[in-house]
Amino acid sequence: MPRVVLFIALRQLWARKLLNSIAVLGVMLGVLTLIAINAIMQGFQVKFLDNILKISPHVVLLDKQLRPAPPILARFLRRPVVAEVAHETPSDRQLRINRPLELLRSIEALPGVVAAAGSLNGSAVLVFGPKQYPVDMRGIEPVSQDRVTQVSSYVTTGSYRALTGSDGIIVGAGIAQRIGVRVGDRVSLGSPLGQTLSLKVVGIFDAGIPPVDATRVYVSLRDAQAILGKPDVVGRVEVRLATPARAADVATQLEAVFGYDAESWQESNANFLALFKQQNSIIGFVIGAILAVGGFGILAIQIMIVLQKTRDIAILRSVGFRRTDILTAFLLQGAIIALVGAAVGDLSGHYLVRFLGTMKTKQESLVRSETFLVHDDPKMYVYGALFALVVGLLASFIPAWRGSRVEPVDVLRGQIG
Amino acid sequence: MTAARGWPEPGEVVLQCERVMRELGGDVKTRILHEVSVSIRAREFVSLTGASGSGKSTLLYLLGALDRPSSGRVLLDGVDLGALDDDGRGALRGNKLGFVFQFHFLLPEFSVLENVMIPMLRRGRRSRSSARAHALATLEKMGLGELAARRPGQLSGGQQQRVSIARAVANDPKIVLADEPTGNLDTANAEGVMGVFESLVRDEGLTLVMVTHERAFAARASRQLVMQDGHIISDLDQRGPSDG
Repeated sequence: MPRVVLFIALRQLWARKLLNSIAVLGVMLGVLTLIAINAIMQGFQVKFLDNILKISPHVVLLDKQLRPAPPILARFLRRPVVAEVAHETPSDRQLRINRPLELLRSIEALPGVVAAAGSLNGSAVLVFGPKQYPVDMRGIEPVSQDRVTQVSSYVTTGSYRALTGSDGIIVGAGIAQRIGVRVGDRVSLGSPLGQTLSLKVVGIFDAGIPPVDATRVYVSLRDAQAILGKPDVVGRVEVRLATPARAADVATQLEAVFGYDAESWQESNANFLALFKQQNSIIGFVIGAILAVGGFGILAIQIMIVLQKTRDIAILRSVGFRRTDILTAFLLQGAIIALVGAAVGDLSGHYLVRFLGTMKTKQESLVRSETFLVHDDPKMYVYGALFALVVGLLASFIPAWRGSRVEPVDVLRGQIG
Repeated sequence: MTAARGWPEPGEVVLQCERVMRELGGDVKTRILHEVSVSIRAREFVSLTGASGSGKSTLLYLLGALDRPSSGRVLLDGVDLGALDDDGRGALRGNKLGFVFQFHFLLPEFSVLENVMIPMLRRGRRSRSSARAHALATLEKMGLGELAARRPGQLSGGQQQRVSIARAVANDPKIVLADEPTGNLDTANAEGVMGVFESLVRDEGLTLVMVTHERAFAARASRQLVMQDGHIISDLDQRGPSDG
């Protein structure tokens, strides 16, 4: 491209500052909206997923066997047998993970696995004085569990380590607030199938996820087994990975190797992820529409300029400019409008996101926050600029093409222009 | 100076029409030119006169590679213009031809100097600084040096037309084609423009084809072509009979 084409494009842009500023404003608003809405949407989603990934394991191996082990007789004979066990009691059919210690060691040896911990979950009722409160009880081995879900970092009052001894309980901040327990208080925790234990509150945790903080308690694995009436049972193995995004692959691998149902964090939170995906699609559509409107602004203004500049195009063509030069000059103008709009939109979007991040608000739904949750993602600035550039080029193509088809002789004869 | 530019020798045919016909219109065609044949020699000052609708401007556009003939050939330095594509004709216009129109057609966003520089910059044979110096020299030669920084809108009609002549000649064309260059000027300014043209032909060795309605100006050309109803009805060469 000859430099003179750029020179002409820039000068003509500058000569119509007001018109082109309107086009720039349209693009700027599109990019600003893209950045601000994405920051808000991602702010919530990133915070939620961040919290979920800290408080939840990346993969859970459940006590449901996908390929039940063959009967002992079949294993001895090494061929299929018809076997029936008479008088089987429900406790004989109790779901559990067999030989959990060996399994834990095997899982931890797998590449990409950072830590694994066995636990037992179940529903229980927490009693404090006259108050009863249903809870989601997590029976854990505190040391190994902390390597998987880092519960200790959420303990705001008391001590996570105190759970290591028996008869301790750590309750969610939401539970503590509702029934009024404090560290040092004694509570009772029981379930219909097991014992009721008197436990001392050794800590209160606040994960920042109201649904978790309002329902979950942590006790030692042994206490959970006693409360649920499942002695020596490990109901699940929770796994932490070096790369959480690989959780689905690892879950499939664990199912294949160990024969237990495995669930990735994506599967566990599939509802939320699907919702986020749908939200993102809708937002993408809205932002696309806003940027398209900006594009139509460029289109309208460029068409007007081409109509006004028909005579100038004719003179440029008569002094040796090619059709491609005219096409390039108008495309350049569209691209420059788009890039200036994108730059201003990026800059104002950045300051808007910063401002939104300081706005006081109270969120108590899926995540708790005192301020507007925003996520300032640098990628969005690049996407905004690229999207604006594509829109600008597309919008200016029609007028540019039209300009490049101007026949100088038609203008000179007075047929157009 | 002209030899250094690689210009043709005087008398050498530089532009030639061979039985050129031009029709305009869609289903119902109007014949504007009827098999016109004419040769333009180097360093000629040719005037083209005739009544409105006689086909003189159409012939000029065909000679200037701005239009294509319906039949026949237009040759510039032996190259058939009809055989060139749009870009080829554009390049040829930029390299070998200069245009002056009745309405000056200067670019209003650019200064006088930039208007003169732009064809040179597109041609690409000069650096920006060289094009600037050459454009300024051309403007000064035409007495427009002091107006170089002004916009066309700040000049009189005569000044604007002289700037358009400067733009046409600054790019070292072989031939300048002028379409009624004095048609929009008062007598004094028209006289000034004619003076510039005569000086360019006489002193710079330029070949000039000028369409005009003014008989007095046409008479100052070295060769006078008269058109009527799409035919050349008279070819008066003051230096001798034409072979075109």
